[in-house]
Amino acid sequence: MGQRRVSKANALVAGRDGSHERGVPGSAEEVVYNAESRVRRPRELLAVLCRDLVASRELAWRFMVRDLRAQYRQAALGVVWAFVPPLLLAVAATLASRAQVINVGATDLPYPAYVMFSTALWQTFVEALHGPSQAVASAKAMLARIAFPREAIVLAKVGEVLVNFGAKLLLIAALFLWFGIPVSWTALLAPVAVLELVLLGTLLGVLVAPFAVLYQDVSRALMLATGFWLFLTPVVYPMPGAGAFGTVVRLNPVTPVLVTARELATTGAVSDPWGFTAVCVATLVGLLVTWVVFRLAMPFAIERAGS
Amino acid sequence: MTGTSPGSDLVLSVDRVSKRFCRDFRRSLRYGLRDIASELLGRRRPVESLRTGEFWALREVSLGVRRGEAVGLIGPNGAGKTTLLRLISGLINPDGGSLTVRGRVAPLISLGVGFNPVLTGAENIFVIMTILGLTKKEIDRRFAEIVDFAEIGDALQAPVQTYSWGMTARLGFACAVHGAPDILVIDEVLAVGDTRFRVKCYRRLATMRDAGAAFVLVSHNPLAILSVCDSATYLSAGRVLAQGPPRSVVARYEEEMAGNGAIPDGAAARAVEGSGARIESVVFRDPAGNALERLVSGEPAELWVRGRAERTLEAVSVAVLVREATEGGALIFELQSRDDAGPMEVPTGEFAIRVKLPYCGLNAGLYSVQVSLMEGHFLWMLDQSPTRIFRVGGREGTSQWLFYQPRGWELLTGLDLH
Repeated sequence: MGQRRVSKANALVAGRDGSHERGVPGSAEEVVYNAESRVRRPRELLAVLCRDLVASRELAWRFMVRDLRAQYRQAALGVVWAFVPPLLLAVAATLASRAQVINVGATDLPYPAYVMFSTALWQTFVEALHGPSQAVASAKAMLARIAFPREAIVLAKVGEVLVNFGAKLLLIAALFLWFGIPVSWTALLAPVAVLELVLLGTLLGVLVAPFAVLYQDVSRALMLATGFWLFLTPVVYPMPGAGAFGTVVRLNPVTPVLVTARELATTGAVSDPWGFTAVCVATLVGLLVTWVVFRLAMPFAIERAGS
Repeated sequence: MTGTSPGSDLVLSVDRVSKRFCRDFRRSLRYGLRDIASELLGRRRPVESLRTGEFWALREVSLGVRRGEAVGLIGPNGAGKTTLLRLISGLINPDGGSLTVRGRVAPLISLGVGFNPVLTGAENIFVIMTILGLTKKEIDRRFAEIVDFAEIGDALQAPVQTYSWGMTARLGFACAVHGAPDILVIDEVLAVGDTRFRVKCYRRLATMRDAGAAFVLVSHNPLAILSVCDSATYLSAGRVLAQGPPRSVVARYEEEMAGNGAIPDGAAARAVEGSGARIESVVFRDPAGNALERLVSGEPAELWVRGRAERTLEAVSVAVLVREATEGGALIFELQSRDDAGPMEVPTGEFAIRVKLPYCGLNAGLYSVQVSLMEGHFLWMLDQSPTRIFRVGGREGTSQWLFYQPRGWELLTGLDLH
């Protein structure tokens, strides 16, 4: 949508804060909508995006608090739900491994701890991946009626995923104590890798969100892909050696991030710093691109979502 | 009224805006993908042509709205009124023309859609008001006022899912009317809540307007447009048919609506095949037998249903259904000849059924009437007339009434009382 904002003198301040007790005519900012592609005016587009990002902070915070409150208020077990999936998967994987049903190599942590920690990280990635399309789906009625910065629902989701990871940290801390796992000073850097994991998931999630509004196939495919993706990520098994499977796992962008997060928190020896760096850079660049795609695509999606 | 001359009071100017839609859902999704692609590749441009299956939801529509002005959009269903509102709100993209919006646009809808049922009323107020673009400080300042307006009292700290439907709607509206928009778009919404609450909403809207907020109001109800708006635009099939002072625009609209409703002679095509009878015309007449263009509140009238029976019909009954002539218009009344007069026996040939109305109890406005012809105890449908729109002319001082109450006044004093 060709949308142009021309700030006039004292635009933002007067428009935002004083519009109820409004005094000066035409003091508010001016927006022009037309049929020109906004990509043609990249500088204006970026200015609008940045302004909306700043403007959406408060709303994102409200959305996050709302969703977290609702989530925990209607769940008797509360944070326990953050622990259950990693616990179950760890139990299942450990049993399978002991019975020699699956054959995993040596892990640098006790196996149950390895699976649990990795699953908690994986789960965080998956939440970030599904977050944007879920958020858009549940806010559809609002999106179709009110123009508010669309970034807010995505930011809120990122915050929610991080808070839920915080809950999982309780489990991880208990795990480390139980198994007596030594913690390296590099654990202080682990949050960077976790944040990167969340951003990577969000990047992909934001990219598909507008299309998920249009086609239900998108959400289904995403579900299916996540299940398959788990097997290509060293969550229940350690990094595989050479070979076709090993190559696929290494090409999986989640691998270096998840592995780095795990290594930083435990041994401190990062096995693939360059892979991690490459994914980080790609994520940051990609986030900008997907953000633009998301913003430009949403009106077309909402047009067809009905009201 | 287009163009934005510097220094003018225009808060909204819509300049030859076009919008195309596709009725085929699957195809519209495909077009959506294509539009997204061309937007991303920088190839999107104003369009002059339609793709297969598309139609113009809006075609070169222009209008301007000044500070504190109320502009009404009127027109039949599918005229493009809501589409225009969505464009003004910045929710969807125009396919041609441009819209210039100065300031914040907010919808007046029951914002209940954004409520989280598990959270309390207070928590929800904060979320909704933030969506409407208010800061924490502004919300704090208005909070008490909103709660007071919504009349939810003690329920403030209870989850919204425990609220009655009315409470939720009131809270939603209280939020909606306490935003600080420069332009408020209203899509036929104040039909909710009880009358007293509605009056309160109107009063609040008037305050907002005095403070300089402009309104863009969509309504099927000519009275709403007449009583609120400074100017009106009559849209039909995406085009502007009339624009200007509400009185003339509404007159044009009513004229055309009523004109379209006439039943053509020999409308046999829609008769239930082989049912044995059909309705040929439905006409209002005065007691002298002259056809009436429109009814007048309090005046006597008759409804003539003429038809033809191809066989002897035993136990015929007629139902006359009168509704408000709006989208999903409320049922005003249904007259059943079977209840009032018992079944009728109709011989072969032409017949007319006359419904006497000692006075017209409808208040001024547009209404629709539909007549059904039925037979037997199980009310087999013989024929049904198309819905016909008709107008009722009002009398002074009755515009806010729900129906027309005929009356007589008399003063009794002293001896008269005994």
